[in-house]
Amino acid sequence: MYNLFIFIRKYNAVILFILLEVLCFIMIVQSLPYHNRKMANVSNSISGGIHKTTSNWNDYLHLRSENEALVEHNALLLKRLGCEEAEADTAYYDDVFTYIPARVVNNSIYEMNNYIVIDKGSVDGIEPDMGVICGNGVVGKVLNVTQHFASVMSMLNSYSIISCRFIDNQYVANVVWDNGNYRYGLVKDIPSHLIIKVGDTLVTSGFSNSFPADVLVGTIEEKGEDDENMFSTAKLKFSTNFSTLRYVYVVKNNFKSEIDSLCITR
Amino acid sequence: MYNTLIRNILRFVILLVVQLLVFDNLLFGNYIHPYIYVLFVLLLPFDTPKWRLLIDGFLIGIAVDIFNGTPGLNAAATVFMAFVRPFIINITARKSDIDGKNAPTVTEMGLQWFALYALLLILLHNLVLFWMEAFSIKLLGIVLIETLLSAPISLLLIIIIIYIFKPLKR
Repeated sequence: MYNLFIFIRKYNAVILFILLEVLCFIMIVQSLPYHNRKMANVSNSISGGIHKTTSNWNDYLHLRSENEALVEHNALLLKRLGCEEAEADTAYYDDVFTYIPARVVNNSIYEMNNYIVIDKGSVDGIEPDMGVICGNGVVGKVLNVTQHFASVMSMLNSYSIISCRFIDNQYVANVVWDNGNYRYGLVKDIPSHLIIKVGDTLVTSGFSNSFPADVLVGTIEEKGEDDENMFSTAKLKFSTNFSTLRYVYVVKNNFKSEIDSLCITR
Repeated sequence: MYNTLIRNILRFVILLVVQLLVFDNLLFGNYIHPYIYVLFVLLLPFDTPKWRLLIDGFLIGIAVDIFNGTPGLNAAATVFMAFVRPFIINITARKSDIDGKNAPTVTEMGLQWFALYALLLILLHNLVLFWMEAFSIKLLGIVLIETLLSAPISLLLIIIIIYIFKPLKR
């Protein structure tokens, strides 16, 4: 306290100067309309700038939870859409597929056999052999499951084989990956009498129990050669962009065990 | 002491009246606004404490402001001027020059020193005043032109006023 008095005594002129100038400034700003408005503008722009910056930071910090909420919502919508389509069909298909949203935590595209790791595991109901799709199309199949994570064999894998269907004429073929560019795959087992055009769209056949029918796989980019077994091949451009994969949906077939048991008995 | 106080009050009133009735009504063009009331702060005695300088500067400034309808504008400039006055005196005069002198007047310190001392302070006063009036960094160029044109005119008028009133002060 004593030091404070000494300080005030020593710098009384400076303190008084500052006080008087502040007083003058307040008077100016309060009484002169032009200065008043100008000051309001300045303070607005400063506070506005600060608010904008903090809100930007906040938005960024909440980006993940926002994304997760959106993905959750998407899953719900997808499910509802599935139900509506199924209603038109038969009662059996009610609630056949459940979509579990997941985040990609690791992804490779340049290996011979590429795998994706997602942040959902057995706790969330993920099981091996479930299909994985994203908003643009098919991604792959679940390979191994731990408690909280699962590895997915992406379509960019030499062991991957997906059953597909031409959307125009319903012919079925298989899509594999030929260790090349991550944008392109190979359509095998196309009946050679089939006239394929560049731009033909392939969707999942729905025969595999892992994927619902009619999920986009890709479009024909280039016609290949016929092989001697009456089947031809074609170059396919994946609709999924594997290099920018962030959020995926794991497809759970609620009747998989039932279907599997049928297959076994047969 | 008593004499000094009365003289200061008289000077305060006279300068205020002259400023308000004469110089605020004179039009020298867009950029020239002479402010001669700063003479009051310029002529305060050497031994005036700093806080008294500030208060006196504030009072004359706010008095001009009240009559001009611009509260705080001139006061801010005169308070600033009163604040830097001791520094300007330190820069321009040696301590031996000030010893034994009563106030920074022409008669005591000589016209040459007074002109330099007054010009520096008037420049600073005008700079603060015009800048506060413009209230914008964008208008700095105009503010500088105003300052550089107004300050010498103010100084000239102040020196003329000093010579007019000189017999009175003796």
